[in-house]
Amino acid sequence: MNALEASGLSKRYGKHWALENCAFELPSGSIAGLVGPNGAGKTTLLHIAVGLLEPTRGSLRILGERPGAAQVLPRVGFVAQDTPLYKGFKVSEMISFGAHMNVGFDMEFARSRIARLEIPPDQKAGSLSGGQRAQVGLALALAKRPEILLLDEPLASLDPLARREFLQTLMEGVADTGVTVVLSSHLLTDLERVCDHMMVLARGRFRLIGDTADIIKTHKVLIGPKERVGSISGVSNVLHQSTTDRQATLLVRTDGPIIDPSWMVNQVSLEDVVLAYLDSRSTSADAVPDLHAVEEVAR
Amino acid sequence: MIWVAWRQHRTLMLWGAVAVAAMTLFLIPTGIGMSHFFTSSGLARCLSTVGADCGDLGQQFDSRYSGYAFLVPLFLMAPVLFGMFFGAPLIAREMDGGTYRLAWTQGVSRPRWLSTKLAVVIGSALVGAIALALLVTWWSRPLITNGASRFRPGIFDLRGVVPIAYTIFAVMLGVAIGTLIKKTLPAVGVTLVAFAGVRVGIELFLRQHYMTAKTLTQSLISSKGPPGAGAADWIIRENTIDRLGHIVSSGRGPDFGYLAARCPALAAAGPFPKFATAVPGQADPFAACVQHLGLRDMIVYQPASRFWTFQWIEFGIFIALAIGLAVFTVWRTKRLS
Repeated sequence: MNALEASGLSKRYGKHWALENCAFELPSGSIAGLVGPNGAGKTTLLHIAVGLLEPTRGSLRILGERPGAAQVLPRVGFVAQDTPLYKGFKVSEMISFGAHMNVGFDMEFARSRIARLEIPPDQKAGSLSGGQRAQVGLALALAKRPEILLLDEPLASLDPLARREFLQTLMEGVADTGVTVVLSSHLLTDLERVCDHMMVLARGRFRLIGDTADIIKTHKVLIGPKERVGSISGVSNVLHQSTTDRQATLLVRTDGPIIDPSWMVNQVSLEDVVLAYLDSRSTSADAVPDLHAVEEVAR
Repeated sequence: MIWVAWRQHRTLMLWGAVAVAAMTLFLIPTGIGMSHFFTSSGLARCLSTVGADCGDLGQQFDSRYSGYAFLVPLFLMAPVLFGMFFGAPLIAREMDGGTYRLAWTQGVSRPRWLSTKLAVVIGSALVGAIALALLVTWWSRPLITNGASRFRPGIFDLRGVVPIAYTIFAVMLGVAIGTLIKKTLPAVGVTLVAFAGVRVGIELFLRQHYMTAKTLTQSLISSKGPPGAGAADWIIRENTIDRLGHIVSSGRGPDFGYLAARCPALAAAGPFPKFATAVPGQADPFAACVQHLGLRDMIVYQPASRFWTFQWIEFGIFIALAIGLAVFTVWRTKRLS
């Protein structure tokens, strides 16, 4: 089953399309990174998924249900950008809030997690540091025992140490529960280590979606003579090309083995691939067919 | 969920309770003192005796207690204070602070979240409003009995059941405005203005038409007001009319210029005819002129007996408005983001 499923999903604010015709499927159990520059539409997408926003066109299903429906709300954990908490509530009262607002809320879990992080339960939520806030928000979302957890830029305001702690808490929290996680970030490096899926969004459109292992497997860097650039057997698409006097370096997506001996085939890093897809030169026209191709591989 | 609503609004509820308690502490002793003086001075007995002249006693009472008039604006403001402090922030503050993203993504659906919050906030406002309404109605009884019509705009609004309806309306108005403005302080300000607008509009233009007003036409010279309860009626307007029924001037009695132009005898007597001390047998030129022109006093009024009918009509109007706003708020909250 797919945890998230969208087709033709579009959202318009005035004249600006924040999301345009997005289609994707995210299998259950994935830990997906939603990557894109600021303003790419990540928050819009997540808000549609949790029912805070209605799409202008198209549809999105979460756990097979309409977002925001009464029967799906208890199954979805969400931490919004900047982790909104009630400033006047103590941390312990935020936990009570979670317990009163969610039927299956695991209060013990939330309490012990807060205790382990050494956050004083009597402290007002408004006086927590950014890292503590993020941790409290995450603890509340995890204690809900959701089937899918959506985190909007949870790492943005954290220092490197807090980022690591946060990701550690997250991975502990989701280990062996089978929960699907979607983490958004404008920085790929944050997500690379924990995510097994990548969803690359830029200017309201998906550029690349797929399993990270498959993405790395199907993308290569080719180095070879400049004059041989053109149709290369096994290459379906050239994403990026840089040439010197004699030599060309290509970042390509492959659709088979590259047997042409004039090309040297190198592995790519996920970051290089994602950056290539985010690059403005890779137009949406060739990115969209790619997207489906990658998706096929992922399945 | 009730715990959450209570926890979010408890500080305000506490302040509201403190304010109501402070009012109570002031109103109970002064009210007892006032009603004690009202009885012991003999004013109560005098006022209940038909035809008695209670002028002096009434004045004594007034000079002692008319200072409490400063409380009237406060009583008039009470409902909108509930609207501003309880109603307007209910949703606006969640939008303002971004916490709607937390509240509406928990296991509780938005309609249930809204209805629980409304129930808690309106419930507590209702307790305060009923307490104040009862207290003010009891407290102001001697003041009302001593001359002031309880039907008069400004006093009608403080007594009986209407303050309760105003309060519910004010809270719903604040909540509804908060769904449109989404910023706490502007929402609070607009609530104040909108509430005042609706209240003044209804008070000035609509209330007098709840039932067809009665009209009384009587002699200009020896009149005291409508028959029956008299001072307790709500006089909407009073005009002087001529024989043909045309309005000659507003208020009781025509202006001197009008009379002088038509009665040479009066014009000769000057603008201050001493009809009050007129020599018996000698025609008072003013009275003669009025007689000659057939001028009469026309009073349009709502009789005092309609007080409770008007109270319930106005109560119904504000409750209906509050229900309309509640429906709007539910509809609007589903679409908020």
